[in-house]
Amino acid sequence: MSEPQRTPKSQPPDFSSWVDLHGDYLYKYAIFRLRDGSAAEDCVQETFLAALKAYRGFEGRGSERTWLVGILKHKVTDHFRRVTREAPIGETEGDEFEHNEFFTRTDEWNNHWNNNYAPSDWHATPAELIERSDFWKVLNDCLSPLPERTARAFTLREVDSLTSEQICEALNITVNNLWVMLHRARLHLRNCLEINWFTKETTD
Amino acid sequence: MALKAYDKIKHAVRWWLLRRLPTCKQTVKVISESMERKLSLRERITVKLHLWICLWCVWYLEHLNLMRDTIRAKASEEVNLESSSLPPLSAEARERMKLRLSQPND
Repeated sequence: MSEPQRTPKSQPPDFSSWVDLHGDYLYKYAIFRLRDGSAAEDCVQETFLAALKAYRGFEGRGSERTWLVGILKHKVTDHFRRVTREAPIGETEGDEFEHNEFFTRTDEWNNHWNNNYAPSDWHATPAELIERSDFWKVLNDCLSPLPERTARAFTLREVDSLTSEQICEALNITVNNLWVMLHRARLHLRNCLEINWFTKETTD
Repeated sequence: MALKAYDKIKHAVRWWLLRRLPTCKQTVKVISESMERKLSLRERITVKLHLWICLWCVWYLEHLNLMRDTIRAKASEEVNLESSSLPPLSAEARERMKLRLSQPND
């Protein structure tokens, strides 16, 4: 009843088992980066089909999941390249996320932090934040109001640790565009995380 | 008495500096860029001085670093992504993909 030790070369493995083994993982990987369910599904399906074709070259070298994630990474990048080519960046994209209200004051200190939005002491370490089970969900919810490209730039930079050059190439933007986007994303996210993680208990 | 005078001078120096340094709004932008490129000497000095006076911007910088460290540490843990509260693949998509994979020649 035990499984055969080795699958004979003439008999390929049951590829549809990939869906149960890796489907959810790949989908979560993709949806976190794309924030669009149907685009994420497409990318996962394309990944499986590409893997099917390339399986002979893989031949069980290394982890199957790592291999599949590697393919998915390219599919996600291709998707973004396609989307950004169709919609060139507008001059004012994301201007509403400049968050001028964070720095609007009626006293002599205008353009300095407004007390209502100023950062507070989180008293937190990365280890404590990592423990939070709602980590990805909160991060995802906080990213979702941002323009797609801005959120994408942030994920590529902070989640995937790409360099500026790689991101500019993938998103078809200049490095100055990128810095503005990252700044806006950080300003917005920091505030959103503070509201969701650090002030809930104290505002009651 | 001497302590009080010292505090007053310190306060005056800080006030004077803050009126002349870039504002918080300008400083947070440079703080963000410091994570992307090497700042010029002038930028480094003005940010340092600003941080000496402004605790809010100190926390801002701390939080940006915390966000980066946490996200990167979290992204490297595969297991956490799987057990995260992100939605799983829908049953319909699952079936469709299984079908496609079992009939690869279509």
